[in-house]
Amino acid sequence: MYDFHNVALSSSEVLLLNLAVLSIIASSLILSERSLKNQSQWPMIGLLAIFGISGRILLAPIPNVQPVTVIVLMAGAYYGATRAIALGGTIALATNVIALGHGPWTLFQAVGWGFAGIVGAHMSSRLLVNEKVRVNMMAIVAAILGFAFNWIVSLSILIDTGSSMLIPYLLNGLVFDLYHAVGNVVFVAWMAAPLGEMMARHRTTRNREAVREVATI
Amino acid sequence: MTNYLKPASVAFLIVLMLAAPEIRERLSEQSIKFVEDSESSHDGLPNEWVDKQVICVFFPQDYPNQQFSDGVTMINQEGNRIGENSDLNRTGACVGGFEGYTEGMDFMMDSTRLASGSLSVGYQVGEWGPYVHTIGGLNANSVTGDFSGAYWKLDHNGALSMVGIGDLVMSEGDVITWSIDTW
Repeated sequence: MYDFHNVALSSSEVLLLNLAVLSIIASSLILSERSLKNQSQWPMIGLLAIFGISGRILLAPIPNVQPVTVIVLMAGAYYGATRAIALGGTIALATNVIALGHGPWTLFQAVGWGFAGIVGAHMSSRLLVNEKVRVNMMAIVAAILGFAFNWIVSLSILIDTGSSMLIPYLLNGLVFDLYHAVGNVVFVAWMAAPLGEMMARHRTTRNREAVREVATI
Repeated sequence: MTNYLKPASVAFLIVLMLAAPEIRERLSEQSIKFVEDSESSHDGLPNEWVDKQVICVFFPQDYPNQQFSDGVTMINQEGNRIGENSDLNRTGACVGGFEGYTEGMDFMMDSTRLASGSLSVGYQVGEWGPYVHTIGGLNANSVTGDFSGAYWKLDHNGALSMVGIGDLVMSEGDVITWSIDTW
């Protein structure tokens, strides 16, 4: 019998295949979002997690280019730091267990994306104007976070080597940091504005929560 | 500017993907530092290999190895090329960063395997243990010139080894070196 699973694909063919799979997933997620009621924040975070997990796994052929950092940054800006940290940690764990390899670095990746979420939450007022993404500002922050995330993850080598290795290691990784930064800018350029519109629909405004808290006290 | 960002970012990503191997090579050359101490058996080897076990194979000028024809290529214990030392006036490859080997032959076979075929070892087991005739495709018997014969010579920490590779006992931080010598 013809063994279809035994076809050897070149790396660019794998990438094309993965992009096709990712576009099916992304478009079905967009359709799913349309059927959500306004203010369905947790279902929306679930959709973001699915997109982040599939995006990171399927884009693995291009080193360090994946949508997770931008998703977590935007989640921080729209939904606050705690939810963004939960989202980043979940994506790190799920992608590593499913496909990329789980180990001590998962913790550093979760911390790195948590940091991206915290930055998003703190800069929310500068990243968003009237619930809309300021694309240029977001692109700059996402590019910087590309480097910051990689440096945070690089600290994981301190577990089994001395600190003298850290600088050569970081220098060696500079191209990969650049990949992450440029990839983030690509994602912000192409998806931040439409994704922001979707996310805004599910934003339970902070003011209302604050009022409710005051009222219960 | 937002309108330019879409095409510009994609274009930049593509340029980066094309240029990445070149940039990486430049960066790794800068980040690697070599021991400069003629008293040390690790002279000329990467700093991070001090106290680690290393094997080096040097090829004669007239019989260079295609894979290692510029300087001495340094390969780490994961099989990655981490840099080249072109100040040693010889060509070849060193594989290093190992710990815990005690038997020379085990160490030689495991370490040379990391050069993905470019340093494969050919030997015969004779009365006095294994006799290495070929390393990295170069059989010492095929080396000819103004001499009676050639062989692969084994040095242990910079001095001629008193025993063959099969009897060599290794300690932490040892460097063994193979090069062609003639008689």
